[in-house]
Amino acid sequence: MIELAPLEERLALFAEGIAGRYFHIKPGSEFAGRRITLAADRSALTSDTLYLPESLDAPDASAYRVLALQQLCHREFGTYAFSMATALTRIPGLSNDDPPALGSRASDFERFYHQFPYPALASRLFRLCERVRVDALMLGSYPGIRPRLERLQQHQLRRDPPHPAADLAGVLAALECQGRGAAPELVAALDLTGVLEPAAATLAALALRPGDVHDAAATASALYHTITRLLDAQTGLVLPLPLEEELDDPGNWSQREARLEDWRDDLSALDASLSVEMLDGDEAEAADSQGLRDGQVRPEDLDLKKLAGERDTLARRIDMERSAIRDALGTSQPEARSFRYDEWNYLERRYLPRWCRLFEQRLAPDPDQDLAELQAVIRAHRPGVQKRLEQIKPLGYQRVYRLTDGDELDFNALIQARQDRRAGHTPDDRVYSRRDRVQRDVCAAFLVDLSASTDDPIGSVGAVAAEEEDPFLWGHAAAGADGASPAAADTAEPRRIIDVQREAMLVMSAALEQLGDSYGVYGFSGYGRDCVELFVAKEPGERFSRATLAAIAGMKPKRSTRMGPAIRHAVRKLLDSGNAMKVLMIISDGFPQDCDYGPERGEHEYGVQDTARALQEAQDKGVETFCVTVDRSGHDYLKRMCPEARYLVIEEIEDLPEQLSKVYETLTGR
Amino acid sequence: MSEAANLAHLDEEPYYLPLGDEVEVFQAAYDARLPVLLKGPTGCGKTRFVEHMTWRLFRDGKAKDVAVPLITISCHEDLTATDMVGRFLLQGDETVWSDGPLTRAVRSGAICYLDEIVEARKDTTVLIHSLTDHRRLLPIEKTGELLAAHPDFLLVISYNPGYQSVLKDLKPSTRQRFVSLTFDYPDREREAAIIAHESGVDGAAAERLAVIGEKVRNLREHGFEEGVSTRLLVYTGELIGRGISPRRAAEIAVVHAVSDDATVQAAIADIVDTVLP
Repeated sequence: MIELAPLEERLALFAEGIAGRYFHIKPGSEFAGRRITLAADRSALTSDTLYLPESLDAPDASAYRVLALQQLCHREFGTYAFSMATALTRIPGLSNDDPPALGSRASDFERFYHQFPYPALASRLFRLCERVRVDALMLGSYPGIRPRLERLQQHQLRRDPPHPAADLAGVLAALECQGRGAAPELVAALDLTGVLEPAAATLAALALRPGDVHDAAATASALYHTITRLLDAQTGLVLPLPLEEELDDPGNWSQREARLEDWRDDLSALDASLSVEMLDGDEAEAADSQGLRDGQVRPEDLDLKKLAGERDTLARRIDMERSAIRDALGTSQPEARSFRYDEWNYLERRYLPRWCRLFEQRLAPDPDQDLAELQAVIRAHRPGVQKRLEQIKPLGYQRVYRLTDGDELDFNALIQARQDRRAGHTPDDRVYSRRDRVQRDVCAAFLVDLSASTDDPIGSVGAVAAEEEDPFLWGHAAAGADGASPAAADTAEPRRIIDVQREAMLVMSAALEQLGDSYGVYGFSGYGRDCVELFVAKEPGERFSRATLAAIAGMKPKRSTRMGPAIRHAVRKLLDSGNAMKVLMIISDGFPQDCDYGPERGEHEYGVQDTARALQEAQDKGVETFCVTVDRSGHDYLKRMCPEARYLVIEEIEDLPEQLSKVYETLTGR
Repeated sequence: MSEAANLAHLDEEPYYLPLGDEVEVFQAAYDARLPVLLKGPTGCGKTRFVEHMTWRLFRDGKAKDVAVPLITISCHEDLTATDMVGRFLLQGDETVWSDGPLTRAVRSGAICYLDEIVEARKDTTVLIHSLTDHRRLLPIEKTGELLAAHPDFLLVISYNPGYQSVLKDLKPSTRQRFVSLTFDYPDREREAAIIAHESGVDGAAAERLAVIGEKVRNLREHGFEEGVSTRLLVYTGELIGRGISPRRAAEIAVVHAVSDDATVQAAIADIVDTVLP
């Protein structure tokens, strides 16, 4: 068996290369929609995620590439561009009337399937035809996949060989074997019904002329009619298909998602005509106002009312459809990238491989934040912080002598060379000097804890640890997300831990910008091992700008504090930076905790041990780490997490910016 | 002496497939003697474009009396103003002044092409300021000479906004002395034509290599912001033309060339394997 987990990162890059956009790679078992059944190959593609089987019985790992490419090709070759309107014009015998039971928001695929007395059969045949069509196009565009596909198909055929087909189930199984690469002649030779041979030929013709998705639908319709001759001959036959489950496959939702785009276009068009009508109406009103009797409505106003009504209905429909899709496929995270990290299980003294999934995304700037206020904060701390960091600023030029190449002659070397010549020795030709730039080569990453408890007012810091005995105070998270703590209703808004953390980051960023060091600012939070969140306010390569200010201001209290994966991810970023000196500073308000960070909820040792291990890994990779906490009881767990010289418990939280700069100076000023 | 200058005689027309109106724009800029800035990723044809334009301006039936019409200086972080302007050399018991490549171009009326200008030290970029406004002067500090540029002289610089760090960006005072032409990799069809012409592989093979370029460039953010250059694809074609199997050629010239990260390399190898027949 081949496992997906070790291949996830490679497959994500492959998919991004092929499709030109990022997809999360997740095992099919994580598929969000419990009502939806994944196809036999346990693969699916949603707007942001490529689902693949967790493990695969295959000859080699390239089988995963085949499955991934098949899914990506459905998008590339327009499977979800299927439209019932086009199908009606291209496929004979279809009608525009949907069965009442179908509902108005059924996907166009479902509407197509319900054109037939046995929709489940139509669905199965269409998906088979579409797979044959997409595979044929895939082999044309990506010829290198052919040997890999054939190898996988032969493996599958050896495992599930086709059998003689005596009934509908046999016919479908044989055709699916053909879809998985069995030769049409071989399939036809299995025919005991009289319908398989023509059906196999129809399917083979589609592979030769694949066309678009509507051609696959037309072939499915033809196959349906060929095969149902068998049903007519065997009246009373029960279809070997569970109807509802068979119909609700992710493809239906993907088509609905694609259709949503069309609806949005329709909405924009309606908005545009509405504004034109309103403009025309204003002009006409002035001209017509005298010509109308009391109570009489102008025809233009009627049109306008109708148009506005249509627009509102469509807007409501789009909202409902969007939420239905989200419910079925899970919340889409197209802007995030996901990474997997090991976790240290101290109880078993081993790593849990690829245990946590971390989503990295940009911090959304806070549009309501007054940037002038933030700049005032930076100015207020400038004397203390910047002056301190300026002391370690060794930027400048230094003249280097006795070089073979340089912008000036080195006269001492020249005189020496001349003496040597006169004395009959071979002179040294290093007679130049040059000014060389001396530059700090430091990259720092600041990892700010955005757990729910950072929403607490500063006065209660001492009580933070006690409060975190139940870490999931969702009230905090909700209040934080709205940007207002419960206490904010009072006239004097108390300062919260997050406010000081944010300010400290602003002040440090501005100071480091002056110093010229490369640095990144990140927030982290999450809930559960499958959803560790890392929010990027600034990457080391980016310039400090108003957008950075706004992003740092956008740091809000969120959920839990799973520190291990956040540290591992920050270390990865630091190692990628290529700088000689790498520094990781973690700013938190309490111990690491998460709902499943350890065997028992509320037991903190597991999280402490994993974090300690992550910090040790960082040190081993040459990253200097330092933990700063505003939790006065921090000594208890910090001394178990890192060496004494590597942490600081801040007594007066308002001192955070100054203390941070002091630590930074100590760490990097050597 | 590490003079990174390359002198081009340009007796034959260098191949260049125009992607837009860059030929006309450059011609107009030269006619008005406006300095030109070429922006674009590595290996997309900036240098070839300058060679082609120099040939058009200096050799194509309008021969000018310049032995070396194009002087290219590849900038690097140790490149100083001295390297460009000139220095005193030791000759026997004397020190003798020797013009640097920029001074030679200014004197002779050649096109001077500073490739990857932001790589050079900041003092170097300031040096070109007086050459790129109405004065067209090069002050040579060490000899006290104030050199007026030859009427045919033109300064062309290139830089790559993609991979250089923000610390190494062009100063506005430098940037605003040039008219800018932006380059990018060509579309699949034209890139295939370029690969076929330059490497001699057939159209089908060139099209596959262009598809590889397109797909690998989708991964630009993963430690190799540049993607794969047209130049590397041409190299791949040349290796194929000399009997190396396409997969091996792409492995050498593409997979291993664009990234050192093992996972990224494996993913690019997967793309190559999938796209090639």
